[in-house]
Amino acid sequence: MNGSRLTIFSMMFGVIYLVAFYYDLALFRYYPEVSEFHWLRHDNLGVVILWYGWIATSALASAAIAFAVPKSLADRLWPGWAWIIPTAVVVAMLIYERRWFV
Amino acid sequence: MIVVLLILHALMAVALLGAITHQALSVLRISPAANGRWTFIDRFRGVDATAYTTPIVVLFAVTALGGALLYPQYRVDVRPALEDTQNVAANGVFEIKEHLVAIGLGLLPSYWLFWRRPNGPETAAPRRYLTWLLAFFVWWSFIVGHVLNNIRGLLPS
Repeated sequence: MNGSRLTIFSMMFGVIYLVAFYYDLALFRYYPEVSEFHWLRHDNLGVVILWYGWIATSALASAAIAFAVPKSLADRLWPGWAWIIPTAVVVAMLIYERRWFV
Repeated sequence: MIVVLLILHALMAVALLGAITHQALSVLRISPAANGRWTFIDRFRGVDATAYTTPIVVLFAVTALGGALLYPQYRVDVRPALEDTQNVAANGVFEIKEHLVAIGLGLLPSYWLFWRRPNGPETAAPRRYLTWLLAFFVWWSFIVGHVLNNIRGLLPS
C-alpha cells in the first residue's frame, strides 16, 4: 500500500467500524463462556463478544476499498480528510452512545 | 495469569500515555515566553516529537492487543456485575473505550504516515489533529480502564 492508500484505509476504517457496530456486521463472533469462535449467531452459548468481529470487518472492508480506489484518485485526496472524517466518526459515535447516560 | 496480563496492560498504557502526551503537547502552537525562560511545560513539549511516532504505534497496538485478551474476562465477570448493580454509565464509558481503541487502531497507518512525511504546511494540520485524536483516545481509555478496575472500591457498598 502506498501513502494515499494508507490514508484511505485509515479514513474508511472508522466509517466502516461505525456501520459494522450499528448494524451488527461482525465478521465472526466470540463466545467467551465456551471459548468458541463462530461465523453465525448462537444464542445458546452465553454472552457474545462482537468487538473482534467488528474490527475484522472494518480492516478487511477498508483494505479492499483502499486497493480498489484508482491511484490517480487516491493521490488527489486532500490531506485534511485524514483527520476530519475520523473526527466526524468519533462525534457520531459519541452522540449515539449518549443512550447510556440518559 | 489474568492479573499479570492486567498489570502488563496497565504498564504499557502508562508508557503510551506518556509518549502520546509528549507528542500531543509538542504540536501545540505556543509563542515562546518573552523572557526566554523555559517552564516545565516548555521542557515537556520540547522533545523530538518524530522519534515518538513508531513507539506510539507499537505501544498502541500492543496495549490494544492486551486489552483484547483481557476483554473476555470483563465480558463474563465484570459487565454482568455492573448490569446487576445498575451501573449503566460504567458500561457506557467502557463501550465508548472499546470503540475509540478500534477507531484508533485504524488510524495508526495514516498517523504514522503523516509523521514520516517531510514537514510542510499541507501535512502539519493532519499530523497535529491525528495526534490529538489519538491522545484523546488514549487518555479516555486509560482513565476508564483504571476507574473500572477499581470500581468496587470507588462505589458505596
